[in-house]
Amino acid sequence: MRINHKEYSGEVEPRTLLVYFLRDELNLTGTHVGCDTGHCGACTVVLDGKAVKSCMVLAVQASGAEILTVEGLADDDRLHPIQEAFRENHGLQCGFCTPGLLMSSLALLRENPHPTEADIRRGIEGNLCRCTGYVNVVKSIRAAAEAAAKRRMEVER
Amino acid sequence: MSVVVEQEVSVAQEEKVSELKGRLEDPRLLTGKGRYVDDLKMEDQAYMGIVRSPFAHARIKRIDLSKLQSSPDFIAALTGEDLLREGVATVTELPMLAHKFANRHQLAVSKVRFAGEPVAAILVRRKNSLEDLVEQVEVDYETLPVVTSIEESKKGGTLIYEDWNDNIFYTLSRKRGDAESAIAPAPHVIRAREGIRRQEAAPMEPRSVLVTYKREEGLYEVYATVQSVHFLRQYLSSELKIPEAKFHVKVMDMGGGFGSKGGNSYPEPVLACLFSKRTGLPVKWTATRTEEFLEAAAGRDEYCDITLACDKNGMIVALKARIECDVGVSGTSAFMAFATVGFMLGTYEIPKLDLKAQCYVTNKMTVGPIRGAGRPEGVYFIERAMDIMAKKIGLDPIEFRRRNIADPQSPESEGYRDLLDTLVKSGHYEEIQRWRDDLSSDIGKEKDGRALVAGVGISLLGGDAGIFSIRSMLAGMSLRGLVGFIRMLPRFRSFGGEYGRVTMNKSGEVYVYTGSSPHGQGHETAFAQLASEELGVPIDKVKVVWGDTEQIPHGVGTFGSRSGAAGGSSVVDASRRLKSDLIKKASKILGRDRGSLDFRNGGIVEAKHPENVLVEIGDILDRLGTTEISAISIYSQRSPRDASAAHLCAVTLDPELGTIKIVKYVVVEDCGRIINKTIVDGQLHGGVVHAVGGSLFEKLAYDDQGNLLTATMMDYNIPTAQDSPDVEILHRGTPFAGALNGVKGMGETGTMAGYAAVMNAINDALSQIQPGAQVNVAPATPDSIFAALANHTSQST
Amino acid sequence: MIPKKFDYYAPSSLNEAIQLLTENEEAKVLAGGQSLLGLMKLRLAAPTALVDISKLPGLSYVREDGDHLAIGALTTHDTIEHSPAIKEKFTVLNEAASKIGDQQTRNLGTIGGSVCHADPAADLPTALRVLEAEFVMKAKKNERVMPASDFFVDFFTTAVGHDEVLTEIRLPYLPPKSASAYLKHSLREHDFAIVAAGTVTTLGDGDVCREVRIGLGAIGPTPLRATTAEQYLKGKVLDDAKIADAAVKAVEGVSPPSDVHGSKQYRLEMIKVLTKRSLRLALSRAGISGI
Repeated sequence: MRINHKEYSGEVEPRTLLVYFLRDELNLTGTHVGCDTGHCGACTVVLDGKAVKSCMVLAVQASGAEILTVEGLADDDRLHPIQEAFRENHGLQCGFCTPGLLMSSLALLRENPHPTEADIRRGIEGNLCRCTGYVNVVKSIRAAAEAAAKRRMEVER
Repeated sequence: MSVVVEQEVSVAQEEKVSELKGRLEDPRLLTGKGRYVDDLKMEDQAYMGIVRSPFAHARIKRIDLSKLQSSPDFIAALTGEDLLREGVATVTELPMLAHKFANRHQLAVSKVRFAGEPVAAILVRRKNSLEDLVEQVEVDYETLPVVTSIEESKKGGTLIYEDWNDNIFYTLSRKRGDAESAIAPAPHVIRAREGIRRQEAAPMEPRSVLVTYKREEGLYEVYATVQSVHFLRQYLSSELKIPEAKFHVKVMDMGGGFGSKGGNSYPEPVLACLFSKRTGLPVKWTATRTEEFLEAAAGRDEYCDITLACDKNGMIVALKARIECDVGVSGTSAFMAFATVGFMLGTYEIPKLDLKAQCYVTNKMTVGPIRGAGRPEGVYFIERAMDIMAKKIGLDPIEFRRRNIADPQSPESEGYRDLLDTLVKSGHYEEIQRWRDDLSSDIGKEKDGRALVAGVGISLLGGDAGIFSIRSMLAGMSLRGLVGFIRMLPRFRSFGGEYGRVTMNKSGEVYVYTGSSPHGQGHETAFAQLASEELGVPIDKVKVVWGDTEQIPHGVGTFGSRSGAAGGSSVVDASRRLKSDLIKKASKILGRDRGSLDFRNGGIVEAKHPENVLVEIGDILDRLGTTEISAISIYSQRSPRDASAAHLCAVTLDPELGTIKIVKYVVVEDCGRIINKTIVDGQLHGGVVHAVGGSLFEKLAYDDQGNLLTATMMDYNIPTAQDSPDVEILHRGTPFAGALNGVKGMGETGTMAGYAAVMNAINDALSQIQPGAQVNVAPATPDSIFAALANHTSQST
Repeated sequence: MIPKKFDYYAPSSLNEAIQLLTENEEAKVLAGGQSLLGLMKLRLAAPTALVDISKLPGLSYVREDGDHLAIGALTTHDTIEHSPAIKEKFTVLNEAASKIGDQQTRNLGTIGGSVCHADPAADLPTALRVLEAEFVMKAKKNERVMPASDFFVDFFTTAVGHDEVLTEIRLPYLPPKSASAYLKHSLREHDFAIVAAGTVTTLGDGDVCREVRIGLGAIGPTPLRATTAEQYLKGKVLDDAKIADAAVKAVEGVSPPSDVHGSKQYRLEMIKVLTKRSLRLALSRAGISGI
């Protein structure tokens, strides 16, 4: 499979979940495990263009897939615009749910570049956060959408 | 180097409300480079798993480990008998107040007392085979009658601890005058049964520990998800009976705690130490979310039968309360009940008082200081009663509170009235009342009652009724209680203190070592800000170090909304000492008077002309023959305070379905000096939404055999982004003189005031459909709202 | 958190998949995995083999096919939610799909996987029952089509045989002047339903209700049709009183469970509320005003 534009391969038991393959075999520990039942969303990655919970996917099912994890967002030291938006708007506190939230937000904005607040809240309902109360998370995603719209306008000029 | 124990200094600095864009910790957390304990991997690490009791109350007849032997992945096992043999001491219980001790073991010995209690521990080579092998352990149990409620526990038919003569863990009484005789003739008397169900902290990161025993030095290197590395060091030392110096306890990044990773001593770190020593392997354990629900310290589960009496002018004449708490197999301390009482009694003038609180043990997991630690309950009990009374008398809820605030001439009370006034003036209070009345006028006009009903609720959090406020602490205390309290004072006082050490090296880089332990609260940034301000050094030259008993010999930790005030003050104090020391030494070297010098931007400067750098830090240190200079503070506040606040919540209620939507939430708060407004606001957002969850959805539910029915994130419902309101915040107040850095603790205040605001709003809505319909036990789930409207008792579990 | 061991097969054709199922008594089909993996992680299910059909081509589609709309069994909930044809012609299914879990779950979960899992609290089975969907199941040597009324058998049990694979779900087009709606009552927005109701209404001349279908979800082992209430409303001009009566009839003989989210009595009351509301919603969509 390709993860963050790099080829990776491995041999695992079929029962190895994708999130454990990422964390334990590949040392990509940015994606986190927060629950047992696929409800918290901390393990969200983008797989073949869609936000998925990597704890609800077997590693073997991801064979041949194109995966984006939080480690693939920044460009060396330059934060991805979505990360920048979260940083500037205090969209994170303890940071544990953050990687999953970033990936969900990214997928959301790709699908819907001009989301309303209701769209945003619905789009991230699969990502639980206990620290922020989501207020600044929503603010961050909206800021990211506005920044992207502004960039598009500038490009179009 | 200098050390100070007590400091009471007036805040002479000008108020600086600093706001950084982004925190120093954000880049690594945003890029997946955070270092949470489960991220750490040691070579050859082995994996620990826990065998847990499926029964809530049973004798252990036999533990059969034989099936494990045939697996090549199996390494070792431990049972309660092994612990006894090795002389491991019982689980630490901090002696806070005069409560009974449970003396439990890290692995159950002869008896299990809650479903999920650890019975055996195993060590395996591969993560994938851990659960397979846990399942291979066979345990025979003989079940015993289960105590799953306070009612059952009270009867005393089944004792949780055979060496206790009842199931009462702790009792607390407060009396002032003859409350009963004041209640009887009073024109206005209200009664209610209030409560908050058992709830879970549920931080997103489950507990984890990684222990490596270093045989040569006889040292345990322990990475653990804890809010205080020093507390864990103390627990490990006293339970394993090994000196504290032999444990290096560390934590780097942590995914929230909310009290569940704070005061309680869990068995897993001890067991991991034993395994690591026995096998020489690093030992990793990470809880599953189910294990978190089963074992992590729970909160709330307090109930209050309250009677409030007022005279014809709407002034309180008496309060009677009977409080009952379910502490499970018993927790670290009875602190929560004590805090509940303090926060019930501290805000309003209560001439006559008759209060009793009892904590009962049951067959459930232990309790702990979960966000607010008893204070949300206390605020809820009194604030809910205030609202019921205001409605009965026909007074505006804000006006009713205003006139009953205690000590009306005191600056604290002025502060509370200011909060309420600000809520009215700037918090859109009248606008919201109008909106609510408009919506209500439609009741009965829409078909089938489909129209939503609106409700508005407020709550007042008197932060100066803080745990150290004399008025609340001693309200109605008996002489015996007073003596006991005085004995406990040093421990309480230690919570008002924190260790801080500030070091500067030749390049002018500053290291701040703190006993605080940030896990989302932003101290890495806030403390750097403080040191940067004090020392005149750019913030990117300041690095904050925490969570390491090797580098930080003493500390208290982060919980109880204390780090901003206590930890922050120790940073300020240590920074000032460092600066003062530098100036003193420089004045000798330069032969200049101290008063003419200052320290700014990495050098000694002319006080009157700070751009005139006389000598750089590198040179000073060279001349002193050293590479770095430090100052230490063990700062202790005489009387720490929590922030005070007034909250307003507006809801709509669908009367047919019983569903609630929060449409507006306003916080007016006073936390003294604000070090970083963005961080403070973030803490309030989170605290409020935590209370929203506790008021609308969250409950740990059990069947009659003591099995936990809500043991997953599917069944235990914390708020999602769709369930959470926007939270508006207005700040009031001035720097608090009781803390060196002017700060009042505020991390939990969102939760402390939140329950009452939400529940009052819901009940306001209910009262418009059916006067007398009330839901006074949180969470106000749709079925409980339905039951209140239908006048039945809710049948759900 | 980690399932028990199993063998994993990723067949390249449907026939191969069926062959594998036939050979292995304990094998289970894996599609989106959003239901099955959840159970396996908690070790509530432990099949010794998984036959992964999620990448088989030609099983994900939404297409007009004569008198019905055909949906491939591997079509995801997200695709169903965004299908204009389903939204316009089978609104109840669009709304049911939109209320499943969260975005991540809808991205992977499939209609086939969800209906074969047959969780009593799931959303799609109720919608499909009320749409009188037909289920196409392929075995090695034959193919059979079964109506929804026979397809859902019990808790987590359908009529799909061990060596069969559900390949397609057919939705017979509704007559003109038809509309539908799905309502779900749950604690949080995306939780499993406490109760749910899906309605289809077809108008005749004037405001007469030619046909009404009422499907109830999360109130028993399988989704139910409230046939007594349906019969009562059929052929009448509907008003508030009749809708209220129908709601009372809808709960006759229904015995929902009592659990942490509500007592049986509470659920019965909520079914009445949702029945009324989904009827009105469907009726107003069909063109009746003033209801």
